Amino acid sequence: MSGRRGPRPTGDRLRRLLVMLPWLMERGEASLAEMSDRFEVSESELVKDLELAAMCGLPPFLDELVDVYIDEGRVYGGVQRLFNRPLRLTAPEGFALLAAARVAMQLPGADAGGALARALVKLAAVLGDDAVVVDTPQPPATAAVANAAQKCERLRIHYWSPAADRRSEREITPRRVFLDGGSWYVIADDHLSGESRTFRIDRIESLEATGVIDAPRDVDVPTDGAWFADADLPTARLRIPASETWVAERYPTRSVTAIQNGWELVVSIASERWLEQLLLRLGPAAQVVEPPEWKDLGARAARTLLATYEAGTHAGN
Amino acid sequence: MIDALERVTNLVALLMATRVPITLDQISHELSGQYPTGEAALRGAFERDKALLREIGVPLETEVLGGSDAGRTAYRIDRARYELADLALAPDEQAALQLAVAAARLADAQFGLLKLGGDRSSVPVVVANIPELAALPALREATAARAQVSFGYHGSARQLQPYALMLRQRFWYVIGHDVDRDELRTYRVDRIEDDPVVGEPGVFQRPDGFDPRQAFPSDPKLLGDEPTARAEVWVGVSRAEAVERELGEAAVRDRRADGSVVVEVPCANEEAFRSWLFGLGVHAEVIAPAELRASIVDWLRALAGAK
Repeated sequence: MSGRRGPRPTGDRLRRLLVMLPWLMERGEASLAEMSDRFEVSESELVKDLELAAMCGLPPFLDELVDVYIDEGRVYGGVQRLFNRPLRLTAPEGFALLAAARVAMQLPGADAGGALARALVKLAAVLGDDAVVVDTPQPPATAAVANAAQKCERLRIHYWSPAADRRSEREITPRRVFLDGGSWYVIADDHLSGESRTFRIDRIESLEATGVIDAPRDVDVPTDGAWFADADLPTARLRIPASETWVAERYPTRSVTAIQNGWELVVSIASERWLEQLLLRLGPAAQVVEPPEWKDLGARAARTLLATYEAGTHAGN
Repeated sequence: MIDALERVTNLVALLMATRVPITLDQISHELSGQYPTGEAALRGAFERDKALLREIGVPLETEVLGGSDAGRTAYRIDRARYELADLALAPDEQAALQLAVAAARLADAQFGLLKLGGDRSSVPVVVANIPELAALPALREATAARAQVSFGYHGSARQLQPYALMLRQRFWYVIGHDVDRDELRTYRVDRIEDDPVVGEPGVFQRPDGFDPRQAFPSDPKLLGDEPTARAEVWVGVSRAEAVERELGEAAVRDRRADGSVVVEVPCANEEAFRSWLFGLGVHAEVIAPAELRASIVDWLRALAGAK
């Protein structure tokens, strides 16, 4: 369950034991290896906890509470007097199951009348009306990209790269599609750069299947926000007024320090153009402290835009 | 010294087996030798065990006794409340739920699935990162139970009858009837300042057909005092197609010979509008209304002159 070292908290051990015993009773027997894998606990810890459980008991029947024994790498479980049903779902487990199912209903290929929808109805019957709504519309290309990832099929795409401020044509082999912070992304082998790259699906302007099928390749999907924060990106130190806390809520920060009337943030910078846009949005009240070459980035970007307004060509003046 | 796991397992068994609630004295007598002796040490150890049971979700019934034991607290576990109800999931439903849990990668969902007898699936091709917040489980339970919740928000106490929780963009929202303000309100869950306190169940009804998606617009540019306010924006050829896809064909006011377009964009909220506009860089320029164009120019001038 957790990667922490040192003695395992008793709560974690009991929580797991109360799930293992009914499961074992249902099965009759299982190998230590299988249980270790399923319940995410080392074999030695498993043996320790099961042997301890076998010693549990209440007077006057001191050792008849938990019927379990271990022999040659196999665990045998009989009928449990008390622990014969799993402990009910906790509030966090119930919430997480509903949220997972609700999100999955929104994923490409979900079938509104299908098995998951029926499972959700049964879950809600136990947990109470779920009232969890997930509103994460997908860009139109998402289903096609997910389908290509399923088949390891190469796609030819036109992609708008905001960092370069231009459109490129390239071939990619989608590997995994993921939703993060309300946007959809695909991790793909990019045959233009020869690297694994992450693309935002709403910036794929067109796509066509090539019919080329590549070998499968497993890639990890970073967890919530981490893919942006952990990337090997430069950082900038910004000062923002107290009214602009949304910056820290929206973007992964390396550090946030309260200063007079505001915040000092260290933010990962995906590209100079991204920082430019952020500074345009924040206006004159925000400041880049470091690095020096970006101190007047916002002012320069504003001047470039002003020039087009002053020329007035698009307004038809 | 007895292993703590053995003691708490015995404690759960004892409280499940007893028909009538029992006091701490009776518990320490039944589990003789497992709790420390001495009133303070015994009470301390028992309080820790109780906290542990609550944390993992064991429902502990407590009762304050009368008669000769007046004032003493007695404890028991109601098996009907302890045990997981049988969901009777069909194999395909179980498989679909497993896949959903694998896609969401939430540790609590994975453990919940184990309780339901499900297996872990390998990570599917499509996965979702869902923000996890400590307040969400309690808010969901309150919503399901129709219980009022109170919490701190922007430094003041709010009383809310929650109708729904919604994940939109990157944030979780709780939407409901704010009792003090007597109107429908939406709160960002990550901005709730403390643990929500959940009141008695069944104190309100949710309006029929309530849809949280309608509670507030998903486009922040529509969120303002004048929801119908619109701007005309020129968009250069390199972004024209993408913007048309985003806003819909009906938003296009003019198509120019060079492939650029003029589109109509909501701007009830100037800040959100600016954010959208500057996201397009030099490929977008406000044409009308004149006051908005002037306001953007002022904004840019202030920034251009800033040190």
